[in-house]
Amino acid sequence: MVDKTVPLETLLAGETATISRIGGHGPNVHRLEEFGLRGGSRIRMFRTGNPCILALGGGKVCLRCDPELRILVERAADTPPPVTVPGRPSPFSRGGR
Amino acid sequence: MPQPSTITAEQVTTVALVGNPNTGKSTLFNALVGVHQHVGNYPGVTVERKAGRMAAGGQTLEVIDLPGLYSLAPRSRDEMVACEVLLGEFKGLDRAQAVVCVADASNLQRCLYLLSQVLDLGLPVVLAVNMIDVAEKHGIEVDLELLRQRLPIPVVAVQANRRLGVEQLKAALSEAFEVEAPARMTPFPEPFEREAAQLRGWFEAAPSTGGGAFCPGIARRLLLDAGGYLEADMLARGRLPDEAGQELARARARLEQEGCRIPSIETESRYAWGHEVLDGAVRRPETYRPSFSDRVDAVLTHRIWGTLVFALVMVAVFQAVFVGAEPLMEWIEAGMAEAGQWVASVVPEGALQSLLQKGVVGGVGAVIVFLPQIVILFLFLAVLEDCGYIARAAYLADRMMARVGLSGKAFIPMLSSFACAVPGIMAARVIEDERDRITTILVAPLLTCSARLPVYALLIAAFVPSWTYLGGLLNLQGLVLAGLYALGIVVAVVAALLLKHTLLRGAAPPFLLELPSYKWPSPRNVAYRVVQRVGQFLRCAGTLIFAVSILVWAALYYPQNPPSAEPLREARQALEAQRENLPPGAPQHARVDEQIAEISREITGEQQRQSILGRLGRVIEPVVRPLGWDWRIGCAVLASLPAREVVVATMGVIYNLGEDVDHDSEDDRNLLQQKMRAAVWEGSGRPIFTVPVALSILVFFALCAQCAATLAVMRQETGTWRWPAFAFGYMTLLAYAGAFVTYQVGTWIAGG
Repeated sequence: MVDKTVPLETLLAGETATISRIGGHGPNVHRLEEFGLRGGSRIRMFRTGNPCILALGGGKVCLRCDPELRILVERAADTPPPVTVPGRPSPFSRGGR
Repeated sequence: MPQPSTITAEQVTTVALVGNPNTGKSTLFNALVGVHQHVGNYPGVTVERKAGRMAAGGQTLEVIDLPGLYSLAPRSRDEMVACEVLLGEFKGLDRAQAVVCVADASNLQRCLYLLSQVLDLGLPVVLAVNMIDVAEKHGIEVDLELLRQRLPIPVVAVQANRRLGVEQLKAALSEAFEVEAPARMTPFPEPFEREAAQLRGWFEAAPSTGGGAFCPGIARRLLLDAGGYLEADMLARGRLPDEAGQELARARARLEQEGCRIPSIETESRYAWGHEVLDGAVRRPETYRPSFSDRVDAVLTHRIWGTLVFALVMVAVFQAVFVGAEPLMEWIEAGMAEAGQWVASVVPEGALQSLLQKGVVGGVGAVIVFLPQIVILFLFLAVLEDCGYIARAAYLADRMMARVGLSGKAFIPMLSSFACAVPGIMAARVIEDERDRITTILVAPLLTCSARLPVYALLIAAFVPSWTYLGGLLNLQGLVLAGLYALGIVVAVVAALLLKHTLLRGAAPPFLLELPSYKWPSPRNVAYRVVQRVGQFLRCAGTLIFAVSILVWAALYYPQNPPSAEPLREARQALEAQRENLPPGAPQHARVDEQIAEISREITGEQQRQSILGRLGRVIEPVVRPLGWDWRIGCAVLASLPAREVVVATMGVIYNLGEDVDHDSEDDRNLLQQKMRAAVWEGSGRPIFTVPVALSILVFFALCAQCAATLAVMRQETGTWRWPAFAFGYMTLLAYAGAFVTYQVGTWIAGG
């Protein structure tokens, strides 16, 4: 079977994925796991970059990884890539108040 | 502050409030205890201890609001305190007798992780599910009935912000005491439980464990905490036998062989348990629907729009702090002057009057003047924090702060320090990483606080020529002021980088910050927070600053009546006699009065020149000479040790202007400027104050740590005198070096 995991940074804004593996310094990985960022967690990239913003569970988290921390994710198959131009959606395109 | 041990003397049951950050835990705490709360620190550590009383089921309960946390595995000081209070291992505090675990209905999975850890402790536990209304708005449905069936503890729905469910929670709590602590349902595999039981038996058999029984779950906690913070703390207190470290390491190695890796076994097992409990009990919407917070965040975290709004918010806060506080500060200054005069009118002239007037009212007053700024700053920060914006500000600032080696959380403390370093240093509590926190605390006083402005205003107006450039758009005086601000920022950045690469080196954990949903700030939460923070500031101002003010007062007051002032005193007596002899209403009255006033000022000046401080000023003259300063400037700088702005008043005294130099009054300032321009080196006619000398003083005050309040709050926040001593040392060295370079280069340019 083809390994479909990609680094977290490659996700585009609006894409949904499942975390497959977090590698790095043990205590740091554990810290992320306690926070709920662990293998099997479903996330949604809200804002790309470093730090990035992820939607997780019912909320959002801001995360800055150092180079030694690698988060591998698998893009959700059921969600097609976002239709809007990825990267930096216009702030007003979602029709805020 | 009453210590908890005196409270427990009357056998009050303690209930600990535990929960993730942003679950509305503090709101629930406020709803439970109302105004009957007091805030202090846990003995020996600078972790805020919020506690209050409430009545439930006919008994009085002491509720402790533990710091918000994601896990009981202690890494930061907050987590350590929470963990030890729950385990009954916090020195000097009794163990909590019950726990209310607060959970956010939108994020139950993570809350159940913490709940699972709490259930290990064998205490009565009540789960309070908060913000179900918010979750429903997001399309998340929680089946509380199913949760109640699956969990061995009472589950109560609350809406803390509307105080709904509070009575039910109290009822559930008093019931929880009646029934036996829930039978534990271990989430761990059998080998782990076996090792934990064995370890516990080994502890209990060990002869020297510092007295007191261990609570259930302690062996599990120690085994799981591979970081070893709890272990190290308990070993240091003699609570564990010395061989415990090796015993734990051996147990962990055995577990690893059996496939239970520490620490990942904890997240695996507990999340698996949480998954089972929540399976079918929580329904999430199938498709993604942007929530209100998502729509707001689309703008507020945007690289361009978000940064723009961020800048506007910061400008607004600063405007409010500086412009809004101005009239209030004037009132306080006037009030302090009144108080000083009142003291003078009630207390007879002498040492006591001088002590009360100049030492107490003057010294502490110089700090209290900044209270309006601090209140306004705290008010804005509390509102921004309560509505959820602070986390976004930290996100936006993180990119910038990461370059300095700090995280976005260091931004608010730094920003606050532009108003006053004291609230800035207090705000650094939000930084969990200890090295980042200390770095922030150490560089915060380099940023230009408002206490430096009177010094800047005086010296710049007096000695920097008002040349304009670009058709009046730029003024040299303004440029120098901006330059001083920039100097503070640049030096702070360099100092932070250096500190992070030397003394405080170490890999920072990944920056992880929850962005809570936006909500309207609750006036109650904001009010409590402002009152608590301001109280801390006042307590600090009331103790150490008070002591330092009195010390400096004494150094400037004693010895009294130096012989060198004798001729002046005789001259004054002669003048007074002359006035007595004048016929009433004679035109000479005004002239003689003026002469008496002038000679009185000279006496005060002579008195202070001969005081301990004045003599010290002469002693350090060789040291300050390379900066272009004479002994009088050195003396004024010494006197401004408690607070920088005191230098203005001291210069007034030393240059025979009397003590009532009001740095806000245009006339007085002009008079002092004239006197300073006229000052000459003793023995030669050369003026002391040249542009290079003025710049050298300015640079010194931009970089020095002349502020007792800052040093006191550093002591309070770091728990040791080592860091304030270090800050004072390095900043004074920097200030000296900066002033030296400025003077030498300045003279070279002026001469060349």
